[in-house]
Parts: sequence; structure tokens; C-alpha cells
Amino acid sequence: MSTQQNVSWSDSFSQAQSAIQSLSTILPSIPSHLSSSDTPSLALLTDPELATQVSDHLRQPDSGAGDNQLCRWLYDTFHTSKVDLQLVVLRFLPIIAGIYLSRIPLRKPLAGFEAVLLAIYAHETTARNGQAVTINLPDLSHPSIYHESRPQPHKSTSTELNLVIISPGLDPQGTIRSTKRARIIGVGLELYHSKIVDMPIQSKLDFCEFCIIWAGQDGEYYKNFPNDNHDEKGKEDEINNEKQEGRVLLPWEMLQPMLKILSHCLMGNYKSNNKNNELHEAACRACRSLYARALHDINPKAILAIGSLLKLINFRKTGVDPTELPLSNVIHL
Amino acid sequence: MSGESSSSEREERKICANGGCVQTETVEAKLDAGNIDEAESALREGLSLNSEEARALLGRLEYQRGNVESALGVFEGIDLQAAIQRLQQCSTEKLHKKGHKHSEPGLSGPQLGANLVLEAIYLKTKSLQKLNKIKDAAEECKRVLDAVEKIFPQGIPDAFVDTKLQETISRAVELLPLLWAEAGSYHEAISSYRRALLTHWNLDNDSCARIQTNFAAFLLYGGVEAVTPSTATQVDGTYNPKSNIEEAILLLMICMRKFSLGKAKWDPMVVEHLTFALSICGQTPVLAKQIEEVIPGVIHRTDLWKTLALCFSAIGHRKTALDLLKKALHKHEKPDDITSLLLAGKICSEESHFAAEGIEYAQRAVDCSKNKNEHLKGVCLRVLGLCYGKQASVSASDYERSRLQSEALKSLDEAITFEPENSDLVFEVALQYAMQRDLNNALRLAKQYIDTTGGSMLRGWRLLALILSAQQRFQEAEVVTDAALDETAKWDQGPLLRLKAKLRIAQSRHLDAIETYRHLLALIQAQKKSYGPLHSTHQVEDDRVNEHEVWQGLANLYSSLSRWKDAEICLGKARAIIECSSETLHTEGTIHQRRGEIDEALATYVNSLLIESTYVPSKICVGAIMSSRGLPMLPVARTLLSDALRLEPTNRMAWLHLGFVHKLDGRLSDAIDSFQAASMLEESDPIESFNSIL
Repeated sequence: MSTQQNVSWSDSFSQAQSAIQSLSTILPSIPSHLSSSDTPSLALLTDPELATQVSDHLRQPDSGAGDNQLCRWLYDTFHTSKVDLQLVVLRFLPIIAGIYLSRIPLRKPLAGFEAVLLAIYAHETTARNGQAVTINLPDLSHPSIYHESRPQPHKSTSTELNLVIISPGLDPQGTIRSTKRARIIGVGLELYHSKIVDMPIQSKLDFCEFCIIWAGQDGEYYKNFPNDNHDEKGKEDEINNEKQEGRVLLPWEMLQPMLKILSHCLMGNYKSNNKNNELHEAACRACRSLYARALHDINPKAILAIGSLLKLINFRKTGVDPTELPLSNVIHL
Repeated sequence: MSGESSSSEREERKICANGGCVQTETVEAKLDAGNIDEAESALREGLSLNSEEARALLGRLEYQRGNVESALGVFEGIDLQAAIQRLQQCSTEKLHKKGHKHSEPGLSGPQLGANLVLEAIYLKTKSLQKLNKIKDAAEECKRVLDAVEKIFPQGIPDAFVDTKLQETISRAVELLPLLWAEAGSYHEAISSYRRALLTHWNLDNDSCARIQTNFAAFLLYGGVEAVTPSTATQVDGTYNPKSNIEEAILLLMICMRKFSLGKAKWDPMVVEHLTFALSICGQTPVLAKQIEEVIPGVIHRTDLWKTLALCFSAIGHRKTALDLLKKALHKHEKPDDITSLLLAGKICSEESHFAAEGIEYAQRAVDCSKNKNEHLKGVCLRVLGLCYGKQASVSASDYERSRLQSEALKSLDEAITFEPENSDLVFEVALQYAMQRDLNNALRLAKQYIDTTGGSMLRGWRLLALILSAQQRFQEAEVVTDAALDETAKWDQGPLLRLKAKLRIAQSRHLDAIETYRHLLALIQAQKKSYGPLHSTHQVEDDRVNEHEVWQGLANLYSSLSRWKDAEICLGKARAIIECSSETLHTEGTIHQRRGEIDEALATYVNSLLIESTYVPSKICVGAIMSSRGLPMLPVARTLLSDALRLEPTNRMAWLHLGFVHKLDGRLSDAIDSFQAASMLEESDPIESFNSIL
């Protein structure tokens, strides 16, 4: 048992090292401590300097082409089938998807990006065996462990449970057909969401950045949501009719996983430090932009979901801490 | 007891115990000088306390003053473990001796001691938390709960509810999972949530609801998949959540139930978490039900109506949603709420008999798109344009129609100046141009739509192909359709194949068309087989082609080739799906007519109209047959054809036959007009109605 683990560990170790090596031929200067790291996969995932270099590279004008070395590297790294290396690729999914989608109308060669996206999609399709993701919606007529009265033996009056598809079944895709593009990216984002606790903050910040670009809408009108009766003076200057680049269609298959990720960025950060606060702020901005977009699209489901996130942000600001002791002038034994 | 003003507050601050009081100032002075021991002895002497008690009180004092570091120092001096052990012996002895049924509510000796110790550990926890030593805080907080379990191995006696001891326990139970989460120990957080909710802590309903809400939020947003709770006590018919979202929704629903039963204080966070969770799952009707059960007055009624309207419109229940919005937009409620106005307008733009009403809502929305809503002006105009367009399609008079159409275009064009990037809008303008037969503009915009969406929308491809077909550029339309087929996964190809078959018919390539129809039928069969019970639910919005329609199309094709037998077989298949339909009867009628069996044809057409009185093709055919039956029948023919044109103003065949009627009746100039209309339309008729894309 332990030898087996050892083997797979050293296997993973050497694969991560060779990934670093091949990356060093692509990027200008890889931080030297990376190759000497005891946990090379983790270093690849979390090193901020490396991340900056990779994202700069991905943002270059011709980065998505089929012969792009970095895309090739991402594709190969994902195909090592080592979970910790796959995380490294997923870490860059927000940038890849973001740049990819905004370049579609420009008719640039994007085969490199597409290969990475398809690899992620194929992985998820295999993992799910193509099946839809379903849940059973709770219904209080069925007793549960959280019911106050202890579970009673089966009552015949209780209704059938409501089976709900939250992500439809997946068909294998050999290429990115344009009508499947949103779904393929959406599935990638679903996978990203399932690994979100492992993602570095910067990756989530990248995601929030692209939410705003995709929304293509200024959300600053909703700073005080839902109290929207205050007309903020001075805002007028900021409202410019500058052309928003990068607005994309946001069908539900993409918006749904986006909102799940965004909700985590907003409310799933329990550690309070500067970087996390920065993420919270960025997520708030993204949320407001997407809310404006939902209104522009008059999309009821999105208005409900994002509206509730915006309200939750404000509740959190004004909350009283119930775990605090009440202060009293007289202290009794 | 509490001070009225800040000046009197200072004077009243004191520590009381055993019937005596000590002013805090003297003790504080000692503490500030760093003499904890002196402060302790001052308390011990002044209030006849033991060292532990004195330290606990000092710690509390320091904590209240915000000197958390000093408080920690004070607490370090208490041997808490020893105290816990003493209490443990004490409480077990007592329980064994007495059976403990009729205890009084006040705190007796050992309880008092227990409270003092637990509160001290709890304050230590809070101090550590404030010093941002989260992990230590969590360990300390866990110690409170472990101590409680040691001191009260049979669970906390009910007599303790409402005591300070219980308050401390409840706070610790609530705080522990929050601390674990903050420390990044997510699995400890989950197990301490479960420990909080599944162990008997005597929590009051409010704190229990808060913990349930916190846990639900953690499950929803934490990003950590929780292992499902133990199924050891699984009873038949019990709901056992198997995923985070299931468990979160369950907890939130339980909280909602507590609120509506008045058991716990309303917490607006719960409904927002639930709104998020259920909208993400697309289960807005369930959400509507939950919100409807909220006791009146908690949610403002207009907000309630608006939310419900959003819930219903999300699943296409337009009428219900619109009725709710009408209430919310009533002049005594919130008539200027732009979201409601827009939603109402949008709903109306989707159904022709609401269109007129929609124009009014949209106009009000445009009027409200000022100040901070100015960014919505484009959307408001867009909805206005869509409502005008919808209204135009059902208007009775030509004059009215063309007025509405030009209003529609005007609004949409204006909208696009505000939102040139909005591709949905580009599509809608393209479609509006197409329906008004301004094919060049329509073509330009349809191309633009495909470019900006990168061809990701099927409807863009279909519109482009239809516009080209209307320009009689069938070959190019077929090229576009083929390109679209390349970009579409097999399952979604139905509408494109149907279009392709029709394009081939238009080019008189009948055999190719039959081939395409076969292809389409094979697809439909495959879909029928592969879609399991999960796929057949109404949730999957798919573009599947209606099988009936395909058999119908193929029957028409065979009939035009005079292959009566094949046509009859296809009609049989169509009838097996829908027994009586106007379409099938109409095709049967055309077969009779082509074979010269005019009386049978007429009877069948009439039957078709009996099923659906507004079925235009049969109306035209009856009209045409009537016009060939001599002068007395001409008025009948004219009525039928005019009626057909009222329903479908751009129906070429109706104009053509009306032209014949006018000619036979001797109204030559009317005849010329009609023929001209027919010939113009022939040059701009799409292969399928533009409406079919919507």
C-alpha cells in the first residue's frame, strides 16, 4: 500500500518537474525556486510570479493559435491526468475562457485555446460518464435528520421527491462547434467550481475581471442595492458612453456556473486578510455588473439569483455578531 | 441597570458578587499598572471570592474594556482543566444522588461554577479571535463544548434553559464552526456544524435557525463538498440530502418553516440564500411556494409580487407573472418600478394578445429611464419596439399595421444607438426588418449577428438562411444551412434539416429533399430512443423538430410529385401522432384537388377549417375553389380570401386568388393591385415564416 503510494507520488513529482522544465523553455524566466521546490505541483499552482508570466503570455495578441507553445503545455499538463497538475491548468481557465470568448468575433486563430477547453470538457464528460447532474429537491413533508420531531416511519401521504437536473448530460465533442461553445466553457467552469477551494485568489480575481468584461455593463448604479432611490451625485462623470469591449452572450449554461463561482468569491471566503478583501470587492463589482446585465437581458432567473447576492452583500455589512457577549456596566458573578 | 448617558455610565460601572460590589475603577487602575495579582486579591477580599472566580471576573472586565491581550493573560492564570474535572465529579454525583427532577431555575453553586469556568474559556476564545489567532480560538472554543459534554454527560438539563450558562453554551456552539471555517479547516467546520445541529444543546429556536442558516451558507458558498450526514438512523421515507445544495436547501426550508410558524425571528438572509439556491437550480416555482408561505407583512407586498412574478416568468407562466406585476405596478403601489415595467413589457411582447398592454408598460418604462436608470433606456426602447412589432402582427387594418411596424422599427433603431453591442437587439432589429420585407437591411444585420455571436446561436443561422430564401437565393441559403449544420451537434440539427429539405424543394431538387427528410426522420427516431426519462421532462429546452410536421412536409412533397401512395403513407404516420389536424386534412385536400376530385377536396378543406377556423391555407383553397364556381359564389370567395389576408397579410397565394376574384367580378384595378402584391411577395417570401424562428 505505502509503496504504491510512494510510486505514484514520485511519479507525480517527476511529472511536475518535467512540466516545470518544459515551461521554462516557453516563458522568459521561470522563478528559480520553482525547480528546486519539494512540492513542484503546488509551486506551479500557487507561485504568483509564475502566474503573472503565464497570464501575460496568455493575453498576448496571438496566444490562442494552434501552434502556441503555452497552449500546448497547458494541454499536455492537463493530460498527465495528475489531479494536482490538472489544478494548475484549471487555475488559468478564467483567463483562457475570457480571452477566448472576447476574441471570437475577431476571427483570430484560437485552436490552441480550444484544445485546452476541449481537454477539460472531455475530462468532465468521462468523469460524469456523460450523465446529467441531478438533485432531489427537499420537501418538508419528508422527515429528515434536521427535523425537530424525530423521523417517523414512512408516511404514505408524503409526495414524491422532485428530481431536478442541474447540469444536463454531456455528449463527447471532438471540436468546438460554435453552438456548443457556451456549454463547453460552462462545463469547464463547473469543474473549476468543484475545485474552487484549491484555487489561488489571483485566479478568482481573474475570473471576476472577466465577469465584468463579459457582462459589458457598468454596475456601479447598484452600489446601494436594493435601496436604489439615492441618486448619487458625481456618478455622472463616470458614466461614459465608452464602447464596452468583450461583451458576450451569457446563456444559462454559462451563467449558472459563473454565478456559483461568483457566490463563492463573495461569501465563501472565511479568512479575512487583504487579498481576500480584495477578492470580495472584486466579486462585488462583478456581481453589480452582472446584475445590470441581467436587467438588460430581462432574464428573470438571473435577476433573482444575482439580486439575492447583492442583498446578501449588504446584510453582511450591517450584521450584528450574535456570538459576542453583551456589554454591561455591572459584571455579576 | 444600564446607564442612561455616558457620564453616568462611568459612575455605575462595578463588579458584584456574593451580595457585595466593587467599583471597577480601583481594580482597573491596578490592572493598568500591570498588577494582576493585586487586582485579583482586591476582588477576592472585597467580594469574598476564590482565586478562580476573581480571575474570571477580572478577565471579563478586561475583555469588556477591549484589552483582549490582558484578558488572555488573566485567563491563563486559571487552571481550567482542574476546574472542569471538579465540576464533572460534582455534577455526576449530584445527578446520581437526586435524580434531579425539580430543580429551581436560579443557578446553584456548581452551576455557577460551571458557568464561570465556561464563560472564562469562551472569553478566552473570543480574545484569541480578536487577536486574529483563529486556530487557537477554535481549539479553545472546542474545549468549551468538550467541557460541557464532560460536565453534563446526559445532556444539558432542561432546567438550564434561560440561564447564563446556557447562553454561553449556545454562543460557543454557534461560534465554533465559524472559527473553523475562518481558520481554513473546512472539514472541522462541517463536523462542528453537524455536532451543533444534531446534538442536544438545548439551543433556542433563534440560535438554532442562525446556525442552520450559517451552515446552509457554508454548504452553498464554501466550495467544499461535505460528506453526507450519517445514514445509520435512516428510516424509510426519510429525506437524506446527498449533496451540498440539497442539504443547504433543506436547512433553509426548515428555517423558513420556523419563521412562518412564528418559532424563530425572521432573518431576511434566509430567503435570499434560498432564492439564490433555487434560482441556480432553475426551481423558481418552488421558490414561489416558499415565498408565498411567508407570513404577511414581513416582505413588502410589492417586493413580494415582483419576486413572484420573476419566479413565474422564469418558467414561462406569463399570465400569472403579468397579473402579479399588474398589482405591483398599480398607481397606489410602485408604478415607476423600472424592473417590473420592463418585465411586464417583455412578457407582453411575447404574446400577441398582450401586445397592446405591453406598449403601455414599455412606454412607462421609457419615461422612467432617467437618472440612475438611464442605462436602461436602450432596453426600454427595445421592449417598446418588440411590443409594437407584436401588435403589428395582429392588427386588423393595413394602415394600422404599417403605422405600428414603423413605430417598432423606430424604437428598435433608437434602442440600438444606446446599445450597439447588444447582439440580441441586433437580432431583433434584423428580424423586424425581415418581417417588413426590408431584406437588404435584414441581411446586413443578420450577418452582423452571426459575426458578433461567433455563430453560436442557431437562430442567427436560421434567420440568415430564411432571408436569403426570401431573396430567392436558395443555393446560398443552402450553403448557409450547411455551414450551420457543421456548427451544430447532431441532436440539435432538426430545424436546420427541415429548412434544408424545404430549400431543396424550392430548387426543384425533390429527390434530394426526400433524402434530407429521411435523414431528419432518422434523427427523430434516434432522439426518441436515446432520450431517457430524465430528458423527457419539461426542463430540457431543446429544439427538437416535431415529428408530425416532418411527415406532413414529406406528404406534401410526395403529393406534389403525384406519388399519391407514398403521400398517403406519410399522412398515415402523421395521423398516428395527431389524429385530427388541420394540416393533415389540408394535405389530404390538396391530394384530392390535384387528382381532380374537387368535391372531396372541398369537403376535406372544410373539415380542416372546422378543426381550426383560422387555418389560412385551407381558407385560401376553399376561396379558390369557390371563385371557380361562377359569379354567385364570388362574394363567398372574396370574404374567405380577405379573411385569410387579415390573418396573414403577406400570404402570396391569398393575394393571387383575390386578384382572380376581383378580375372575375370586373374590378380590374383592384385585380391589378392584388396581382402586384402577389408578385412582389413572391419575390420576398421566405421558405418558412420568419415567425418560426421565435
